[in-house]
Amino acid sequence: MGTPHAYGFWAYLLRDLSLANHRRGEVASPLVFLLMATTFIPLGIGPQSELLSSIAPGIIWVLALLTTLLSVEGLFSRDYHDGSLEQMLISPQILVMPVLGKVTAHWVVTGLPLTLFSPFLGLLLSLPSDGYLPLAVGLALGTGCLSLLASVGAALTVTLQQSALLLTLIVMPLYMPVIIFGSSVAQYGVDGLNWMEPLAALGAMLALMLALCPLAVAGILRLTTIN
Amino acid sequence: MNWTWFYRMGSPKWFYQTTSKMLPILLAVTASLLLVGLVWGLGFAPQDAKQGNSFRIIYLHVPASLLALAGYFLMAIAGAIGLIWRMKLSYMVMKCAAPLGAVLTFIALFTGAVWGKPTWGSYWVWDARVTSMLILLFLYLGVLALGSAFQSQDVANKASAILALVGTVNIPIIYKSVDWWFTLHQPSTIKFTEAPSMHPDMFHPLLVMILGFYCFYAVALCLAVRVEILNRERRSQWVRDVIGQADKGNRGVFR
Amino acid sequence: MIFQFDSIQQMIEMDGHGAYVWTAVVVSLLAMLFLVLKPVISRRAVVEEIFVELEREQRLKTNQSEIG
Repeated sequence: MGTPHAYGFWAYLLRDLSLANHRRGEVASPLVFLLMATTFIPLGIGPQSELLSSIAPGIIWVLALLTTLLSVEGLFSRDYHDGSLEQMLISPQILVMPVLGKVTAHWVVTGLPLTLFSPFLGLLLSLPSDGYLPLAVGLALGTGCLSLLASVGAALTVTLQQSALLLTLIVMPLYMPVIIFGSSVAQYGVDGLNWMEPLAALGAMLALMLALCPLAVAGILRLTTIN
Repeated sequence: MNWTWFYRMGSPKWFYQTTSKMLPILLAVTASLLLVGLVWGLGFAPQDAKQGNSFRIIYLHVPASLLALAGYFLMAIAGAIGLIWRMKLSYMVMKCAAPLGAVLTFIALFTGAVWGKPTWGSYWVWDARVTSMLILLFLYLGVLALGSAFQSQDVANKASAILALVGTVNIPIIYKSVDWWFTLHQPSTIKFTEAPSMHPDMFHPLLVMILGFYCFYAVALCLAVRVEILNRERRSQWVRDVIGQADKGNRGVFR
Repeated sequence: MIFQFDSIQQMIEMDGHGAYVWTAVVVSLLAMLFLVLKPVISRRAVVEEIFVELEREQRLKTNQSEIG
């Protein structure tokens, strides 16, 4: 079997996924929000398809961002309040692995459906046909970044009540580069340019965050939950 | 190597006593620099060929922007020192640097907007530097909000310090990506943040103002940290001695 | 180095840009003043608090010594 380090990752990934399975309604609601918000856009600015298609990549990315922020609040605080976070902290695994497992589970439950949904959202917003693949690929990488950064915010606010707004405030500036490059991937695809370029930047960001965020989260969790 | 000088600097009492002596001089220096710089820049520097007299706003805008950015790094470094050496004083400096930097960022944004109107026709232009400055403001506000959200001062310190450091790592990334984003969406040759080519007669008062702003930052930070020290160290004997010496009518700032 | 304007009146107007320049100057200086005054005001409050605490402890001590 795998090494004890790897055990931490899979164990927590599967644990969080099965816990999410028990809260299916709660887990689905950010995605329902996403769908409804996407409907608001044409309602707000008019259904002309040229207008919509010119802003579709950006709008979908902004909505993806908001959806991720909505869904991340309980990532660590649920475990903190029922005591299992403490178990995670005192267990022999390197803390990075359980953290990575939980963040991956969050991505599977939020980012992945979002990516798979995105062609439908593109359809709703008259995204030109060249944009569908870059949008989906960009979102696949980008939502990973979004989940990782959001986990940092969730860790910082784990002991606080009603931390949703504070979490959003903290994480938003860190999201700016992700949204810039992410929406460019789709936009480049629409404009017929080489969308691998911003995708490479996005991939580099994902790699950086994959390396650093779990470390930061592990340190934060240890520091902020000391009584 | 003997590190006692470093640890002595971490003592709030040392900071308080040293600043008591230094502040009057520093305040005088700041006031003179700012006065000289402003009068020089507003009245004596030649006006810009393209922008006319509105370019004089630069004498406030550029120093404020520089200090806003430098102040963020100062805040983050103070947080890092606090985390590594567990120095209370360092955390206090970090905590006081946050609102100071946020107001400076606001000054930079405001003066930039007011400068933009006569120069480019609108108060707000989404160019790279303005957008980065706005994000800097958000970073400051995040640290401020997080620091005040905790019951335990200790946890608040550590969380703010970590957030400040995370923001620091991101600042280059943010700046570069905003830069790239701006060139992406502005194919025209108009460059919004092209600084006017600086004649020395225009540049010298700017230097004076930058220096004056640095001194101003030091003054404002020291004043704020001193209050923080008095507040948090109120149980200690030296604070009580200081307060006890000040009778009701004479609560001097520099005591 | 020469004074750029013919009169103070002209300096206030700045060839039509006066409103912008002086607004920027005034707002900036006010904000900076605020940054310096706020600690001074808080300091007064904190010193007052600590002074009151000190006096209270003094009173308690003298009361104790009277009783004991």
